[in-house]
Amino acid sequence: MNGMSLRAASRRRPGLRFAALVAPGALFIVIGLMLPLLAIVVFSFWRTESYELYADWSLDNYRTLLGEAAYRTFFLRSLVTAILVTVICLVCGWPVAYFIARHGGRYRLLLVLLLAAPFFTGVILRIAALQGLLGPVGLINMGLTMVGLPPIEALMYTKLAAGLGLVYLFIPFMVTAIYLSLVNFNFELLEVAKINGARPWRAFIEITWPLNWIGTAIGMILVFIPCLANAVTPRFLGGPEATSLGMSLAGQFGETGTWALGSAMGVFLFAVSLLAIFCIAPTIRLKRSGFTGTSLT
Amino acid sequence: MTGVTLELQSVTRRFGPVTAVDKTDLAIEQGEFFALLGPSGSGKTTLLRIIAGLERPDEGRVLIGGREVTDLPPYARNVGMVFQNFLLFPHKTVAENIVFPLRMQRASRAHRDEQLKWALSLLRLDGLGGRYPNELSGGQQQRVALARGLIARPALLLLDEPLANLDRELRSEMEVEIRRYQKELGIPFIYVTHNQEEALTMSDRIAVMRNGRFEQIGAKTEIYTNPASAFVATFVGHANRISGGIADIQGDLARIEWGGGSVLAPRPGSAQRGSAISVFVKHEDMAIHGAGLNGKRPEGVNQLAGTLRDIIFKGQTANYIVALPTGDDLVVSGTPRAGVARPNDAVIVSWPIEAGACFPREDA
Repeated sequence: MNGMSLRAASRRRPGLRFAALVAPGALFIVIGLMLPLLAIVVFSFWRTESYELYADWSLDNYRTLLGEAAYRTFFLRSLVTAILVTVICLVCGWPVAYFIARHGGRYRLLLVLLLAAPFFTGVILRIAALQGLLGPVGLINMGLTMVGLPPIEALMYTKLAAGLGLVYLFIPFMVTAIYLSLVNFNFELLEVAKINGARPWRAFIEITWPLNWIGTAIGMILVFIPCLANAVTPRFLGGPEATSLGMSLAGQFGETGTWALGSAMGVFLFAVSLLAIFCIAPTIRLKRSGFTGTSLT
Repeated sequence: MTGVTLELQSVTRRFGPVTAVDKTDLAIEQGEFFALLGPSGSGKTTLLRIIAGLERPDEGRVLIGGREVTDLPPYARNVGMVFQNFLLFPHKTVAENIVFPLRMQRASRAHRDEQLKWALSLLRLDGLGGRYPNELSGGQQQRVALARGLIARPALLLLDEPLANLDRELRSEMEVEIRRYQKELGIPFIYVTHNQEEALTMSDRIAVMRNGRFEQIGAKTEIYTNPASAFVATFVGHANRISGGIADIQGDLARIEWGGGSVLAPRPGSAQRGSAISVFVKHEDMAIHGAGLNGKRPEGVNQLAGTLRDIIFKGQTANYIVALPTGDDLVVSGTPRAGVARPNDAVIVSWPIEAGACFPREDA
């Protein structure tokens, strides 16, 4: 009876049917995503003492965060690392994505799925594997020692090792994002550019790059934001010189138990991430990207 | 004196076992409107892409303006090209699209602006310079593509079925316009199409292409009235085909015996008595008469009796479909006049003997 009337109502008002479809997902997002975020924002204005949260509203946590040199160092280190890792992923990812999209032929899908192969195992395991590659008794340095050469110190628990780990972890996102953009790209436009006098590099700069900027930008965001907050990689590969804001943040919720300060760090990272998105969003012009359909209208 | 702008010498291109272009020679003169006409898969687009430099020939040479360009990339050839699907740059405005070739040539801004103004007015795109391609109609987009192809005054403009994506009315309008631009600018155009009407309307010379070879190459009237092969006779214009065997040869004429009787046709070069043969007669070369004419048999004219099955009225002309006693249909195209005949009337179809084009039967 009730079901019938609901169905009838939804037929009369398509909006209702739409709402019924959207509701579960929306509910999950609100409860699973928005509420914790809200909680963190609230906590960041509270105070922790002996592992207990007290609702004493103040800006003390932010004052500590911005005032103390250690946190500033951690943040700048995270920021510079994230930017460098993004740039390296970009430079290394573009040719790979281009090759797959242009010359992958019938293996295109297979090659893209291979990009996902690292995800078959957990992050920790993969980082441990990298440790086995880069560390003092890792494959590279062991091999060098065995043939009588000195090991490469720069790979052993350094910022470089942490950076390499991040590039390894996040390059699949970059390649996938660029690839998805390139499969929508009409490569005939390059022929047109060449007939009209553009050399290959010029054609890339004039046509390929701007028309695939959307995928590139998404790839950059997908790499930059998790890198900025990353804690695991520098902890395993980075050594004492590589402490990131993310690591410190994890510590606030773990060993030191200063949830309030940790929350403030989270909010701060969130704000920086939003800033990054706001910086890059205006450069994306969906209607002109060729993404919403080519010149044929 | 006009010079040769483009020369192809024995150009061949193979794709695996398929020979798309087979030892093709071609010379295009300055100021010529040249059509490459052929069914899909005949190799005409491949030939165009070889001229543009998008495809490299396996054998042969390509010369533009006397300079060998066989191994030069497209951007060093100074040719323009217009594509079937327009292929405008979607992220650039109309003006940016049009001046793109000049920017690639590092032309000065003043020169660019001047040429842009010229191109916009030539192609009647004034006021649209700031628009993006997706804000234009199909016809406007194609005009932008033409402007982009022409602005740098290339040695040669290649057009690959540029009107195939436009609707019929726009197409006939553009046919006339494109021919006007070509005559105004004096740049040779090479126009690839599978549409014989387009080729006939626009071009000066036509090459009919089939299986990677030129079946016939010549002035369009020559191609139309004097086809060199059965393929050309069927592909250009609309023709009736009567297939039979040569029963007798009388001087320049051959008497062809077929299921429905015998007809006379000009004797094909090497044909002997008994060889299998097809006679092609253009729809408009045939005339239809009421059955009252029967009995009279004027000199130099073939006559066949049949039944009018249907009249397809097309406005300026009408197609009369005449069923012969053999079961074959003939199509006669004429000025629609009321009262000639009605469906199911007995009629006579006639045509001058010299209007028939005779070729050895390909399937025989």
